[in-house]
Amino acid sequence: MRAAKPDIPALVAGLALLALGGLLLAHSLGVVELSFALVAPVACAATGAILLANGLGRGG
Amino acid sequence: MTADSHPGAQALRRDPTDGWLGGVCAGIALRYGVDRALVRLAFVVATTAGGLGVALYALGWLVIPAGPGAGRRRLPTGRGAVEVALGTGLLLLSVLLTFRALGIWFSDAIVWPLVLIASGGALIWRGSGSPATAPAQAEAPTAALLKKETEQPRREPGRTAAAISRTGIGIALVVAAGFAFLQATGALSAARDVLLAVIAVVVVLGVIFAPWVLRLVRSLTAERSERIRSQERAEVAAHLHDSVLQTLALVQRSDDPQEVAALARRQERELRAWLSGRPPAGQAARLAAALEAAAADVEERHGVPVEVVVVGDRNLDANAEAVVAATREAMTNAAKFGGGSPVDVYAESDDGQLHVFVRDRGPGFDPDALPADRRGVRESIVGRMRRHGGRAQITSSPASGTEVELELPARPDR
Repeated sequence: MRAAKPDIPALVAGLALLALGGLLLAHSLGVVELSFALVAPVACAATGAILLANGLGRGG
Repeated sequence: MTADSHPGAQALRRDPTDGWLGGVCAGIALRYGVDRALVRLAFVVATTAGGLGVALYALGWLVIPAGPGAGRRRLPTGRGAVEVALGTGLLLLSVLLTFRALGIWFSDAIVWPLVLIASGGALIWRGSGSPATAPAQAEAPTAALLKKETEQPRREPGRTAAAISRTGIGIALVVAAGFAFLQATGALSAARDVLLAVIAVVVVLGVIFAPWVLRLVRSLTAERSERIRSQERAEVAAHLHDSVLQTLALVQRSDDPQEVAALARRQERELRAWLSGRPPAGQAARLAAALEAAAADVEERHGVPVEVVVVGDRNLDANAEAVVAATREAMTNAAKFGGGSPVDVYAESDDGQLHVFVRDRGPGFDPDALPADRRGVRESIVGRMRRHGGRAQITSSPASGTEVELELPARPDR
């Protein structure tokens, strides 16, 4: 039986959300101190990765 | 002895076959004739200025189309393309913000306007470079030769609007970058006075030179229209030569009334289909089938064996149809003037390129000594290939017969 092909855009979105959640959890636990200078690039990178994966997933 | 024509100059394309990532540096180096290492070094140096090189490279990757050696995977279109562009932009923004947060930064007044200028420039370039016209009659049927075999581009309102929108957004970004730079450097108020002076000079010059500019534009438009009409005339003449005149020549040589009637009926059907814009009955949709059908037709009409070998295949778009028509004419000439020797046809379609060779072992001829009123070689083969961006070369000598080579390069946007 063949394994189902992973949904790459959903996978990237999930990983990005996991990373953001981990960052927020670390902030709540006092491990890191979040600031706009730190959150902005992470948020941009997460959104960009999701959009890129989704766009490329549409094919050409 | 040869007679040939040449395709146009090469445009800027990425060269992934010779690149490390997307072939942007290799493509720029190839286009402008500089060393690849120098271009790569320039991008590396730009990267040290707040990651600008990475942003420029990514934009180049996104905007510059890949060359013919690239793989068959293409960037998505429509909504997918917008998502890819936004995603790439956000990723680049995150890189820049990270560099800024880490202190690896040049200056806000320099980097952000440069990013805006690069983005706007990319959009303007894309808007001007991407054809606001349809990709020249791709996948079109043979029949509407009057419209479709000319080089006149077919405009599509949606594509034109998209190109204008891209250009408009690009211009807005560049202007915004200029204002941002002037504002950041405190030179905006001084620039306002300069801007007023420039506007005044432009208005004065515009009033003075407007009549000449308008005349020049009208002249260019008229010249373009005349060129298009001339190409249409040439296409009609080539088609009539290949169909009606060839049939009339066969009719004159035939003694059999039934054969003459059959030739006339077939020609009438073909001519009616052509005039009404319908594809002829039984027209093949693929190159190999079309070449074999043309060879069978020539064989039947002239009673000379025609051997066809086709390597690779492709859809029969308007350019490939022109190659088939030129090949048919070359086969007809070989059958008529080749002294009854068999005609060999070899066609190869590879990565968008198309090569066809038609050879006979007949007495040969001098291509340069052809009379002006003989349109077969001049218009139906050489002229037709040139009008479709290809090339035809005819090599002939009494000892080795005649070889016609037809070459159609890959379309850049294919």
